[in-house]
Amino acid sequence: MTRAAIASDPGIGRKERTGLRPGQRAFVWGALIPIFLYLGVFALFPMIWVVVLSFFNYSPVRVGDGLLGLGGRNPFIGLGNFIAMFADTQAGQLFRISVKNTLIFAFLVLAVNLAITLPLAVLVENVHARVKGLFRAIYFLPTISSAVAVAIMWGYVFHPQQGLLNNFIKLIGLTPPKAWLTDPSAYFLGVPLAMIAVIIAYVWMDFGYNLVIFIAALQGIPHEIRDAAHIDGATGWQEFRRITVPLLQPTLLLVCTLTMISSFQVFVIFQVMTGGGPQNQTRSLTMEIYENAFRYQAMGWAASMSLVLFAMVLIVTLVQFRVLRTDWEY
Amino acid sequence: MGTVQLAASAAPKRPRGRPLALLLTYAILLIGLAVTLVPFIWILMTSLKPASEIVRIPPTFFPEQWTLNSYQTIFADPKVPLARFYLNSTFVAVARVVITLFTSSLAGYIFAKFTFRGKNLLFGFILIQLMIPFQVVMIPAYLILVQLRLIDSLWGLVIPSMVDAFGIFLMRQFISTFPNDLIDAARIDGAGEFTVYRRVVMPNLGAPLATLGIFTFMATWNDYLWPLIVITTHEKRTLPLLLTWYTSQHGQRYDLTMAASILVLLPILVVYIFFQRWIVRGVALTGMK
Repeated sequence: MTRAAIASDPGIGRKERTGLRPGQRAFVWGALIPIFLYLGVFALFPMIWVVVLSFFNYSPVRVGDGLLGLGGRNPFIGLGNFIAMFADTQAGQLFRISVKNTLIFAFLVLAVNLAITLPLAVLVENVHARVKGLFRAIYFLPTISSAVAVAIMWGYVFHPQQGLLNNFIKLIGLTPPKAWLTDPSAYFLGVPLAMIAVIIAYVWMDFGYNLVIFIAALQGIPHEIRDAAHIDGATGWQEFRRITVPLLQPTLLLVCTLTMISSFQVFVIFQVMTGGGPQNQTRSLTMEIYENAFRYQAMGWAASMSLVLFAMVLIVTLVQFRVLRTDWEY
Repeated sequence: MGTVQLAASAAPKRPRGRPLALLLTYAILLIGLAVTLVPFIWILMTSLKPASEIVRIPPTFFPEQWTLNSYQTIFADPKVPLARFYLNSTFVAVARVVITLFTSSLAGYIFAKFTFRGKNLLFGFILIQLMIPFQVVMIPAYLILVQLRLIDSLWGLVIPSMVDAFGIFLMRQFISTFPNDLIDAARIDGAGEFTVYRRVVMPNLGAPLATLGIFTFMATWNDYLWPLIVITTHEKRTLPLLLTWYTSQHGQRYDLTMAASILVLLPILVVYIFFQRWIVRGVALTGMK
């Protein structure tokens, strides 16, 4: 808004408080009121409702006599759902297994993902600009693919007899595992083999994101710094370890957070590739929430578990904020 | 946009290092390329084999006998009206893209260029939204749809996600760099506020709108969990739902299930080939996932 317009406006006192002229007020609130009414219904209300639900033994198949179908046959049970998470019942055990699996999955995905994407990004950065774009575009391809198709595809790659992987392992003269996805007694380095398979498929599908983010960050590192190290006789590894990684730290932190949070929320690969099996070794928290809410209609129980998922996301985010307060000057 | 333009305008960097190091670099990059592409090629080849060749051990990689039999079987299956399912997915994706672009740019513009009471509170609410995983609110969202009688309807896939917190955030970031003089000039010329948004701001948002649009399209097209909850009638399924259903019907016929997977992957691949630059750039800029 121009100064002249302000000066000529008679309602100057009121306008300074809100900063809007009458015509603008109509525009701003005409747009924002419907948008935020909508968000109230589809964003704020669900957040409140999920917290309320977690205190009830609620199922949509029973008709409660209170507000929103709560009360009566959907009784208030206080912290009952949260206490049940620690109980020695089948439901409690399944919940704890699913949390454990989700954490194993998220940490391993993070480690494997970084071990691949960070060096790969440095390598891509070092090749000629023209092929760089090509590599980047192809590495990114799996991330845009339908997760369902990827899960079905990898289910077939892991097929014991016909699968690509076992035949490749045979080809190079090693003994492949009998079954990747269905043998509950198969472990690799203490991790169930089916979980390893899911992690391989997910990292394959997801690594393009972090790769692209790292490449962009590498382009932001001033060339002078690396050239100076070069002149001083630094080897490639020294340059990576002492210059690239420290300078990438803010990006690294962001990538770790995003990868963690999105790994907590993975559903499709688990559901389609293993269905949580064998013997719940790949049952994730998201699967547990989905099945309890929509297959067994135990929505109060599922709501309380989804709050645990939220808490996990929140913790990772808060840790990130905490670390971000450190100075990253360079 | 800064980083990307800078990188694009820089002269092609000469490959650094010794020839051996460069050779090793390319070797590793090519292995990575193979790992990325071979699974795709493998299922494509599988879909082009006759059923008898698939069960052979050890399996062939390339078909000994090329055939389109699996695709013909799917096209001829009366239980799989493919056009219907493509239409369902397209309808939901396009509706969500159009609505999201409109609400995101409108709210983003207002948060970027206007000062009013309660602005920080409202924008703070948008930021909090960014942190809420979908699985946390999906149960109440489902119960709301039951109340609105939108269960088992394609609109049920559109209506709960018409305002996108991330979209608003992204648009605000872009529009804050937009020169105020241009907006004021239009106002002096007598343009109403909505006209300013429609005729001055919108036409300058090509890049962010394209990025947000493509990402919304891909996320919707590939979405599985929400359609799985909402849709129950076969004819209303979207493509990912169709794919799991089809696989459950033909579990051991890998020629058919892989052909079906290819049919689901194909449209998004075409989109990717055309918009690859926007997509990769968008991720680099926003860290969008």
